[in-house]
Amino acid sequence: MAVYRPSEGRQQKSQTAPQEPNLVPIMNLFVTIIPFLLLLIVVSQVALVALNFSQAAGGGGQGGPGAGGEEVKKIEIHLMAREHSSGLFPGMEVRIPDNPAVRIPVINGFYDFNSLNNTLVDIKSRFTNTSDITVLVHPEVLYDTLIRTIDLCKQNGFTNVQYTAPKAVYYY
Amino acid sequence: MNYQDIQSGEKKHRRVRRKHADVKGLSITSLLDVLTIILVFLIKNVSMEAVKVSELPDMTYPTTITVEKLAEKAEVTPVKMYLDKILLGNESLYFGTPQDLKGDEDKREKIQQYLNYEYNSIVKDETKEPCLIVQADSNLPCDYITEMVRLGTATGYTNIYFATLEAPDWLKAYNPAATQ
Repeated sequence: MAVYRPSEGRQQKSQTAPQEPNLVPIMNLFVTIIPFLLLLIVVSQVALVALNFSQAAGGGGQGGPGAGGEEVKKIEIHLMAREHSSGLFPGMEVRIPDNPAVRIPVINGFYDFNSLNNTLVDIKSRFTNTSDITVLVHPEVLYDTLIRTIDLCKQNGFTNVQYTAPKAVYYY
Repeated sequence: MNYQDIQSGEKKHRRVRRKHADVKGLSITSLLDVLTIILVFLIKNVSMEAVKVSELPDMTYPTTITVEKLAEKAEVTPVKMYLDKILLGNESLYFGTPQDLKGDEDKREKIQQYLNYEYNSIVKDETKEPCLIVQADSNLPCDYITEMVRLGTATGYTNIYFATLEAPDWLKAYNPAATQ
């Protein structure tokens, strides 16, 4: 059984002062980890544009929309080549259900995204509940044009952007 | 007093230094505190997923206003599509050129196999959601992008992300009429 002895407290005073813990190993560890973590930090983070290709979201890829069953009328943006090719109109064409198509020609060989933006603003004001839009891109169109078009769609409230291509051609 | 004097025992006087108290070691406790805070901050902010989709120095990215975040449980399979090569996965494995996607059945098959392998390894863990991130050069024709998306969706990837650079004012700065 332990007995309390006040004299023990006095004896402790005679012991040496407590030493500081040796922090050198932990400092070494920190000095190693911190530069490593700093290296991992991505200074210029890329932005992301997401597309959902699930069946519920309407899918994407090849072919026309509404495969099987009743065809749903959707707003479509056709991105054609900048030059006259295959008899197609050079530029963009916005097809609105039960409305005449809006053609946006290229200006000086460049797509007119300002006019596309104005058209999308106008469509959104008329179809406020619609969030679906289909971007149909022709093979010659550059990736940059596709992404800018999807970007404008998303900016104007068309959150469910479907991306389709007219048809696939293989050369083997 | 030179060396010879000492040798001959002719010491005139001996200089005795005053004894100083031992210099205490520099306290690094405050430094350690700072480092601990930095360490915690860095560990919290470093995301391994972000590293997988970091900006590639030799690629021209398209610019967008839209910035969307990666899904919470996303497990990423990056696809890097340059004008002259396609690199797949975190290891950036070379899988041919974009033209091979349309013209070489074998290489197309290999890309499909690789995506299948990646997808199945991610799907094993039910907590993770497989995502395909397409990092493509802005000057690449959409034909190849469409083909890669087609391969991705055929594999089972439903969430496909396109890597871009954020530019909130690109539309304001865009003026094709002024460009010749």
